[in-house]
Amino acid sequence: MDGIYGEYKPVLEKIKDDIQCRIEEYTQKEYETSGIKIYEHLIARVKSEESMSEKCRRKNLPETPESALKKLHDSIGLRIVCSFIEDIYTNIKYIKSFPNCKVISEKDYIKHAKPNGYRSYHMILEMQYPYTDINGNTPGNFYVEIQLRTIAMDSWAALEHKLKYKKNIANQELIIAELKRCADEMASCDISMQTIRDLITE
Amino acid sequence: MRILLAEDEKDLSRALTAILEHSKYAVDAVYDGQAAVECAAENAYDAMILDIMMPKLDGVSALKQIRAAGNYTPALFLTAKAEIDDRIAGLDAGADDYLTKPFAMGELLARIRSMTRRAGTYTVKKLKIGSVALDTAEQELSCENSIRLASKETKLMEYFMTNFGKALSTDEIFSHVWADDPQADHKIVFMYISFLRSKIRAVNGDIQISGNEGETYTLRSVADGDVN
Repeated sequence: MDGIYGEYKPVLEKIKDDIQCRIEEYTQKEYETSGIKIYEHLIARVKSEESMSEKCRRKNLPETPESALKKLHDSIGLRIVCSFIEDIYTNIKYIKSFPNCKVISEKDYIKHAKPNGYRSYHMILEMQYPYTDINGNTPGNFYVEIQLRTIAMDSWAALEHKLKYKKNIANQELIIAELKRCADEMASCDISMQTIRDLITE
Repeated sequence: MRILLAEDEKDLSRALTAILEHSKYAVDAVYDGQAAVECAAENAYDAMILDIMMPKLDGVSALKQIRAAGNYTPALFLTAKAEIDDRIAGLDAGADDYLTKPFAMGELLARIRSMTRRAGTYTVKKLKIGSVALDTAEQELSCENSIRLASKETKLMEYFMTNFGKALSTDEIFSHVWADDPQADHKIVFMYISFLRSKIRAVNGDIQISGNEGETYTLRSVADGDVN
C-alpha cells in the first residue's frame, strides 16, 4: 500500500538532503571568514507518513499526496539550533539568498514571543527543483519549513511539547505559569550572552 | 550620595551643607519650595531634606508635587516644635521622616543613613514609562514581550525609570546600584546598561537609554524615526 506521499517520497528525501547540504555549505563558508559556527546542530527530516496522515485527519483533510504536499507545508522540515541569537539572523540571511527559493511566510516569535513564552523563528519556503511536483509541473515547486532557535529556546520548546501531549497534569496552571517564567529567564540569558559576545568582539 | 536641601534660613542652610559635605554627601542647596520641585525634576537624589515653612511654595506642597511626578526619593522634613499639624501633613504628603528644630546634627545624619538604607523598600513595585512596565518584585520587564531581569538589572532599571529623562553619571549609578558590593568595578555600569539596552529592545520597548560608555546616561522615549 502506498503511503500518503505516494510517488513523491524519494523526491522529498532528495530535497531535504539538498537543503541540508546548502546549510552546511554556507556554515562552512561563514566559519572560514568569521570563525563563528553559526549553528550548533541541525535536524532535517521528512515528516513520517504516519504523522502526516494523523495531521490530515486532525485538520479534516483527505489523506492524499495533494493534502500532504499542497495544503500542508511541513512535509520537509529543518530545525537549525544556534548558540547565539544573532546567529539565527545570519542563517536567515543565507537562506533568503538560496537560488530558486521564495519565502512564502515567516514569523519572528523571537521578537514577538507567543503568550506562553514560545520563542523561535519560522519560515516556509517554496523551492524549485527539477522534479515533477503535485501540480504536474516540471521543474516543480516544493514547500519546506525551517525553524530556527537558540539552544535555550530549543530545550524550552522540547519541555513545552511534552506538556502539550500529556493529559491530566497535576497543577497544570502553575506549571504553565512557571514555564512562562522560565522562557523569559532563558530569553534574558540568551540576550546577556549575545551582549557579552558583542562586548568581547567589539 | 547626593542630597537636595531646601531650607530658607541661610545660616542654617550653610551649616547643614558644611556638615553634610564633611560626611561625604554632595549637596544641592535651594531656598524655596519651587526651586526644590525644579531640582528634583532635573537631578537624581538619594535623599531630600525639606523645611516646611518656605517662601514661594511650602515644603508640604513641594513634596506633594515631587511625589505626584513619580519621584520616591526618601524625604525628611524639618519642622518647628509647635507644628504638629504640619508634621502630620508632611508625612501624609509622602515624607519618610521628620525632625523637630532644634535638632542635633548627629541625629540628622543617622536619620539620613537610616532613610537611604531603607530606600529600596519604599518604592512602588510597579513602574511604567511609555509602554514599558517594570515589576520590581517579580523582576519582570514587559512591553510587547516580557523578560526576567537579574536583581542588579532590576535595580538599575528602577533607578532609570524613577529618574526618567534625567542625566545620570556613571558614578551616581554605581553608588546607587552597587553600593553594597565592595568587589564591583565602575566598568560594570556600562555592561549592565548594555544588558538593559538589549532587553528593552527584546520586549520591543518604546524607551531607550542614551549615552556613551563612562559618561552620563539618560532614559528617554524613542522619538519617531529613531533607530533603536
